[in-house]
Amino acid sequence: MTHDARAGQRGFALADADLSSFDAQFHARCRLQQPDRYRLIEALPRDAKRIARGSGVSYVAASFGADAISQSLAAFDRALAFDEASGRLVVEAGARIGDVQRFALARGWYLAVAPGHPAATVGGCIAADVHGKNPARDGTFRRVVERIELATAKGLVIADAAQNADLLAATFAGFGLTGVITRATLKLARPPAALVMRRVPVANLCEAARTLREAANAPVLYGWHDGRAKRFGRGVIRIGLASDVADPRALRVPPRSRDLPVPIVPSPFATWNRAGIAAANTWLGWRWCRPGQSPLPLADALFPLNDARSYFAGFGKAGMVEAQWLVPHARFDDFAGALAERVARDRPRIALIASKLFAGRPEGFSFDGDGVALAIQLPSPRETGQRAFLEALAELALAHAGRANLIKDSTLDAATARRAIAGFDAARERLATFDTDGLYASELARRLAL
Amino acid sequence: MSAREATAIVVGASSGLGRALATALAREGYALLLVASDRRDLDALGASLNLQHGIAVRALALDLAREADPGARIAATLEGLPPASALLLPIGYSRDDDDLSLDAAAIGQLLAVNLHAPLAIVHALLPRLVEAHGVVVLFGSVAATRGRGRNVVYAGAKRALVSLYESLRQRYPDRELRVQLYELGFMATNLTYGMKLPLPVVEADVVARTVVQKLRSGSARRHLPRWWALVAMLVRWMPWFVYRRMKG
Repeated sequence: MTHDARAGQRGFALADADLSSFDAQFHARCRLQQPDRYRLIEALPRDAKRIARGSGVSYVAASFGADAISQSLAAFDRALAFDEASGRLVVEAGARIGDVQRFALARGWYLAVAPGHPAATVGGCIAADVHGKNPARDGTFRRVVERIELATAKGLVIADAAQNADLLAATFAGFGLTGVITRATLKLARPPAALVMRRVPVANLCEAARTLREAANAPVLYGWHDGRAKRFGRGVIRIGLASDVADPRALRVPPRSRDLPVPIVPSPFATWNRAGIAAANTWLGWRWCRPGQSPLPLADALFPLNDARSYFAGFGKAGMVEAQWLVPHARFDDFAGALAERVARDRPRIALIASKLFAGRPEGFSFDGDGVALAIQLPSPRETGQRAFLEALAELALAHAGRANLIKDSTLDAATARRAIAGFDAARERLATFDTDGLYASELARRLAL
Repeated sequence: MSAREATAIVVGASSGLGRALATALAREGYALLLVASDRRDLDALGASLNLQHGIAVRALALDLAREADPGARIAATLEGLPPASALLLPIGYSRDDDDLSLDAAAIGQLLAVNLHAPLAIVHALLPRLVEAHGVVVLFGSVAATRGRGRNVVYAGAKRALVSLYESLRQRYPDRELRVQLYELGFMATNLTYGMKLPLPVVEADVVARTVVQKLRSGSARRHLPRWWALVAMLVRWMPWFVYRRMKG
């Protein structure tokens, strides 16, 4: 190697790294860049394929790929400006949602749309257009973002409603394929003074859907359901309601040291075999499936995954998959019935089912629409029986006009994704117009032919 | 003088140890003058520290490899800030081809950043620092423990900082000006990222916390982490016929 070449490599902050998706279904030896200055983000050779990386907690391999340099935004995690009166907060894209909530709550505001993992970054939430605790009321992440700054092949670009609005729209659920998001302006909201969590037991998924619809305006709204064949769909709808009884402890968010760690070390043996799933569901059923209500600290509502470390570790090295489908209201009862029959026949190992209500309009690849979404988590998705059930689930959902969450389900292939997203080709073409050189690449983009 | 009535100057503030020092100093309440080469990074760091800690922050973008008189630029930028009582110089610029094969321009750049800049800045700010009974904090490197066939110019410049440390201490008693020199071991920065190093690296935040904790103590020359003192001693005492056979 020449002196010039060696000197050129120094300071790019590039090294080989083994990266894995959160669901442990993809692993790759990649080039990982850890820039700590803005100019390093832009310093890669012009033809080097790249993809932005936040905390690396995406369920699927959205922030890395074998043929792309992952550009970590970990050093770009700062709050840059805040308007106390309007609640507008400018942050760098690597800012973690947990830190944003801590900053905002200390000043009497909060981010109304936030995913359950506190380490998820603002850039990642934009790229995935994540949803929060009640998407039917609050929409998806795009609703809390006013402006973004992207580093693109053409230089730094600002996108908001007034300029580059198409780029802004394509970047939500654009999976990082429109450029490297470097900054965002967020619109914060006033938090409820306190929350009470009401528990409404349900006997099946149809009853769950009805209960969700009746509570559409609650700040927190989701269901937990048993996935075992004989008890399929039994569970509880958890309705977080704003309380007038102010409690200063309700808004306290624990320090970052209490956040769910990245990565989670898998337990040496998988907990979620049939016995483990039965024990956990029985315990959760006993604990939650009783009518009533109790005070709920906002932090617990915002970051339910902080208590789920051993749950995720329990999937072991074989990992898990989360299949998430949004089915229109008119088709949901039929879908739920057919799904119960399928589960009774196949008896898959389902660790958890969560239900949520949506009332939005799907755009691009975003996971939004008007209906009820089920998130179904299974261990060991590569096992033949589990795999067969996932394929059957996809066909059932598609037969009932279901829409898939591309950023959650790593078992989807390109053909299924095309059927699962109305306007897939148009969304893909729109992304391509912002990356004419094909600079941005990831394992997710390769698998789904985005 | 309490931290809230004083300004700390951090040169090389935008990344690595400099950024960690700026953050630790902001936590203590110092007003800050941040100096680095890239305006965008400085503005982001300054805005963030101002927002988080409510301190006064001023930023100065300077290319130390090309700036003829960085001290004068820094002194001019201090106007209007509380008295400068701490000057921290976590500057370091090295390159892989610093192995006795550099041309004169490259040698000049390395010396400009690693030696000329600290000397010029210290000279320019000495009157203010002495008036405030302040502290100068220099950052050397274990690379300068003993000459090797790599990091030739870099290590030479860093060893010259030891001489600067001794000169300042010889000239000023502690009651007028304190001088602290840290000889740093391997640290996790973008310069060491991905390198296979023979000994553990220390996080910049850990070093910064220690440096800021000791800012009010007297003059001293220390290794960080402390165990590097033992490594340095072994390297210095190693018989020449063994040392010259070591890689690099």
